[in-house]
Amino acid sequence: MRDVPGTVSCIDGNTFVVSDSSGDIEASSAAPVGLFAADTRYLSRWVLTVDGERMTALSVDDSQYFEVAFFLVPGGEVDYVQADVSAIRRRRIGADLVEVVTVFNYGESDLDLTVGLEVDADFADIFEIKFDAGTKVGERYAQVTPDELRLGYRRGTFQREIVLTASEPATFTPEHLHFPIRLAAGSSWTVEVRAEMRALRPDGVDLRSGPRALRPDASTLPDSVRAWVAAAPTLDTDSPVLRQVYERSLVDLAALRFAPLSLGGATVPAAGLPWFMTLFGRDSLLTCLQALPFTPSLAPTTLRILASLQGARTDDVLEEDPGRILHELRYGESAAFEEQPHSPYYGTVDATPLFLVLLDEYERWSGDAALVRELEQEARAALAWLDQHADLTGAGYVSYERRNRSTGLDNQCWKDSWDSISHADGRLPSFPRSTCETQGYAYDAKIRAARLARTFWDDPALAERLESEAASLYDRFNREFWLEDRGYYALALDGDGNPVDSLSSNIGHLLWSGIVPPERAGRIAAHLMSPALFSGWGVRTLAEGQCRYNPLGYHTGTVWPFDNSFIAWGLRRYGLTDEAGRIAEGIIQAAGFFEGRLPEAFGGFDRRTTRYPVRYPTAGSPQAWSSGASLLLIRTMLGLEPHEDHLATRPALPPAFDRITLLDIPGRWGKLDAFARRRPAS
Amino acid sequence: MSVDAFFDRLRRDGAEDRLVKVSGSVRFDIRGERGLRHWRLDIDRGRLRVTEDDSPASTVVTMSEQTAEAMVAGGMNGLAAINRGEILVDGDLALALRIGRLLPAANARHGGGGT
Repeated sequence: MRDVPGTVSCIDGNTFVVSDSSGDIEASSAAPVGLFAADTRYLSRWVLTVDGERMTALSVDDSQYFEVAFFLVPGGEVDYVQADVSAIRRRRIGADLVEVVTVFNYGESDLDLTVGLEVDADFADIFEIKFDAGTKVGERYAQVTPDELRLGYRRGTFQREIVLTASEPATFTPEHLHFPIRLAAGSSWTVEVRAEMRALRPDGVDLRSGPRALRPDASTLPDSVRAWVAAAPTLDTDSPVLRQVYERSLVDLAALRFAPLSLGGATVPAAGLPWFMTLFGRDSLLTCLQALPFTPSLAPTTLRILASLQGARTDDVLEEDPGRILHELRYGESAAFEEQPHSPYYGTVDATPLFLVLLDEYERWSGDAALVRELEQEARAALAWLDQHADLTGAGYVSYERRNRSTGLDNQCWKDSWDSISHADGRLPSFPRSTCETQGYAYDAKIRAARLARTFWDDPALAERLESEAASLYDRFNREFWLEDRGYYALALDGDGNPVDSLSSNIGHLLWSGIVPPERAGRIAAHLMSPALFSGWGVRTLAEGQCRYNPLGYHTGTVWPFDNSFIAWGLRRYGLTDEAGRIAEGIIQAAGFFEGRLPEAFGGFDRRTTRYPVRYPTAGSPQAWSSGASLLLIRTMLGLEPHEDHLATRPALPPAFDRITLLDIPGRWGKLDAFARRRPAS
Repeated sequence: MSVDAFFDRLRRDGAEDRLVKVSGSVRFDIRGERGLRHWRLDIDRGRLRVTEDDSPASTVVTMSEQTAEAMVAGGMNGLAAINRGEILVDGDLALALRIGRLLPAANARHGGGGT
């Protein structure tokens, strides 16, 4: 897998196109360029020519996520002198792709030209691209009629097809669309080409017709985005970068909304471009938590969809158990034929407790008691999973060890790469592993579920049992994870209950969950803000000085904005406002270097050394929980907390911000405003 | 378990705790050697009524007898089968998924080998 620099992307939910700077697509096997929907590449070649000559972009306007315009001249950049012919290629993506090409003749003589589009569709599954693997088992086909070109792929009853049509007379071949045109001096010619992507059932019904019906026409997109942004609170601040980050984050969350194939049209956030354009349990739950004060409508649909796909059986390939919340849902060929376990894959240890945390937090904001009652059965099943299926060592912790030994994930916590959980000396611990932050989530889930049981399910006995279990988890955790000589919590316990002693960002999440005794919070904060963990921009995933530390290690040294947003929230919970503010300030300032769009992760290099946040090579962008990070950081700085029907604010601004005003914060109180001014240093 | 045995069990049980918040109707159209068979499941807040009739239902699930046998034996992933066009769902997929939870856990698959 590799990242492709200089690409231009255009997205709407899990439909997206990634091309070069002239709008052309020339996919190689391992590069994530092309037109994608439902985890399948529908166009692997899409090259515009005029009289056989390729075009070069003079400029690109990609200010809207769902459309992009390329301003083109023939030939390469270096040999451009003065072209009589130029073109604008305007691309818009909704459920399908629409491309409008306008060719101009600014010369003095009439021209006979052939405008061409070279086309190919390899129907590669996103996993074939990610792992640069796989030969197609099924067969590709091409059907040409006078009015359209159909390229398709069929494997048994599995069929995917793209249909290309044009608004102007064209010659279709299996590899081309050709438009012979006569262009008078000073005139222009325009064609609209549509590429409709279908996931066909044997009876001809398109599985994508549901999502398409939601958005009958790509032209409805701007209105939908405007409405989305208008429904969110209005931010007013003296900080241009905070304004930029806020607007970018709201729009990117709009961009990542998608309706899972045939799930009734409700939209949930996809995790991130390009590898994670689908539903992830953990990512969507944490994004909804981050966004609650801003775009609460994401939460109920996410909770309902995750509930409807909650595990019911025991299956070692999917790593499914009754009550478990899914990790990842995919629609590509590898999922359809169970070559990858994503229909759905349940290998996550934290989505289940986070499901309970979001259900409670959502009610606290929205007052939507009906949803809490509607999902009572699923919430109880999630609690039962924690007790009956998650404690693999019998030590009373939520732990993981993969059962799918060929395609399952080694690490099923948020740091899910193979080497993310290690001892300070670099050794990898034995399984099952119980990571510290997961115990915090489980503790928090039980405390919150107790409130739901008492208030909405009329079950005080359950509430008492949950509170008593949470209390014993609190004691046990603080006894067995705490490393007194180091002054922090072990990253994890290994399969024999031995602590994994690395210093990591995971300890910051414990503050968010409230499992840290107040007298220990200061020592945790000191570690989080120490030079070993704090880069100047944010808290690194793994501290300098740990054997596997690498400032460009995916989970072993990079800085993750989402991680930092929860750490900052945790610091505020313990009244550590200065520390929370430093993180908020650092992450938001870093966003300024990414045009307001926080990537999935960036390098853990020291800020004083590099002066800018170093790009992580394969970071997803936009990434839902990175977009959510800036929202949660704003909540943290304003100290927003729902209390019954009131919204409490306890602002504490770091030096980078003098004034933050958030108007029309939606919730059970209707709409309320929050005002913050920085207090001068005493 | 055969397809007949599965629906017989639902008919005998007459109620299902996991569906107490569910109301709706699902018709299963199962095509086999003996032609097209219909099973209709009416759910009223957990109470189940099973009939063999082809009257309209809010959700219709169509599959071959072979696929149906594999589903009730617990050996097939329903969502993957929908995705590859082997099971067709018209109407409320979420309802169909809830019914899918009633399928037995028998023959649960076990993790692959390898590293």
